[in-house]
Amino acid sequence: MSDDLKTRVQELIDTTINPAVAGHGGYVELIDVQDNRVYLQMGGGCQGCGAADVTLKAGIERLIKEELPDVLEVLDTTDHAAGANPYYTPGKA
Amino acid sequence: MPSSMARLLLLLPTTTYRTQAFVDAASKLGVDLVCASERPSTLEERAPDNLITVDFADPDGAVETVARFARRRPIDAVVAVDDLTTVVAAAIATRLGLRQNPVAAASAARNKHEMRRRLEAAGVAAPRFRQVALSEDPARVARLVEYPCVLKPLALSASRGVIRADDPDGFVAAFRRIAVLLARDDVGLHGEVREALLVEAFIPGREFALEGLLMAGGLQTLALFDKPDPLDGPFFEETIYVTPSRLPAETQTRIAEATLRACAALGLTEGPVHAELRVNDAGAWVIEGAARSIGGLCSRILRFGTGMTLEELILRHALGWKIDSFDREQRAAGVMMIPIPRAGRLVAVRGKDAAEAVPGVEEIAITAHLGQELVPLPEGWQYLGFIFARSDAPEEVEQALRCAHARLAFDIA
Repeated sequence: MSDDLKTRVQELIDTTINPAVAGHGGYVELIDVQDNRVYLQMGGGCQGCGAADVTLKAGIERLIKEELPDVLEVLDTTDHAAGANPYYTPGKA
Repeated sequence: MPSSMARLLLLLPTTTYRTQAFVDAASKLGVDLVCASERPSTLEERAPDNLITVDFADPDGAVETVARFARRRPIDAVVAVDDLTTVVAAAIATRLGLRQNPVAAASAARNKHEMRRRLEAAGVAAPRFRQVALSEDPARVARLVEYPCVLKPLALSASRGVIRADDPDGFVAAFRRIAVLLARDDVGLHGEVREALLVEAFIPGREFALEGLLMAGGLQTLALFDKPDPLDGPFFEETIYVTPSRLPAETQTRIAEATLRACAALGLTEGPVHAELRVNDAGAWVIEGAARSIGGLCSRILRFGTGMTLEELILRHALGWKIDSFDREQRAAGVMMIPIPRAGRLVAVRGKDAAEAVPGVEEIAITAHLGQELVPLPEGWQYLGFIFARSDAPEEVEQALRCAHARLAFDIA
């Protein structure tokens, strides 16, 4: 079941999510699906981007959960500090 | 999604450090979250009910955008994150009939000259001041002011553009330096706040920061931070915040009272407030008062009640939900905003493991990325990162932060 869910998550990333984030030079990589939790890594313009959390939680996670209700949670495993070219950079208040 | 789920609008600049903390808090509360940023999300077309674009520099336009959205997706609360969004949040909330500060109050808190005017009118202890247009001759103005003084932009934060001058030559140099800064596109200021600066008397003394929550005009102090590093200029880079404060209780009370009077003078009544004050023999002086919560990642050191984050507390207040406890955890906590030592490109960060091994240090977050061009104060607007520590006593926290910082090395080319 986990393999099937993983395949469906991957398809969603390939057909919907990555084409969208590519507009900001970013990409999302599926790392694993464990216990109905999806582990992602963000790269390119997404890595270190100040909007990454919004993109993930309000965008990616919501999309995945709407299409695949079995998914409990989407987790970001990205090392954002290692991002070399984030699309938006955080700054002081 | 249950129809009874509360819907909360978060105004999140793309430059904020606070996104994860606020989004996590919203997730924990189980609210339907709508995120508004000033630049489009890549997924906005795919998630139009949860991701919208709002121009934070255009309150009227922002109000119309959100009002249109709210007609099909009613909003129960709006929360501003960072200085950039406070006025827009107030305007949106006013239109929608939601809890927020009056627009005039939020605007006053965003303009340092207007803030000074209101504080002076209310008799709140604050530096003498004057607004100077950038079109004026700085050499002429330099002969009119008293020294030492501090020059600062009208609407920037975290000491960006704030410079002390001890004499007329220093005044002219500072004036010109700030004028160059304000002309930059990345500063993000518009209108009159870009065309003038504030000159105010330098107030000697130790500086403190009060983090509070306003509820119907009453102030709940959430944390009082000591800033143990002297801030005498010429630049005023904040480094260490430690709480609880080691000030005598009576002095802490005076700081809270001064903050409350300042909020009342500005017309602020609801939501988070972050105030900076100086204390000397003459009392507690209000240096800054912002209608938003503490910036950067500093809120990570704050926990309330049974472990509630500052962001959760803020969202609960905005929603009108019960807050069981405002008591900060018992342990002392602190954060160091890692200063940028000099300009250049960040090549490497060394010693992080050794720094994290310092007793009391909980986490080190390096937020600058390798290859990034670093710009120190007064022109700079980003941090290298943050060090977080907890211990039984504030002295131990301060020591842990300093020790960890000493173990870090930043290679800057």
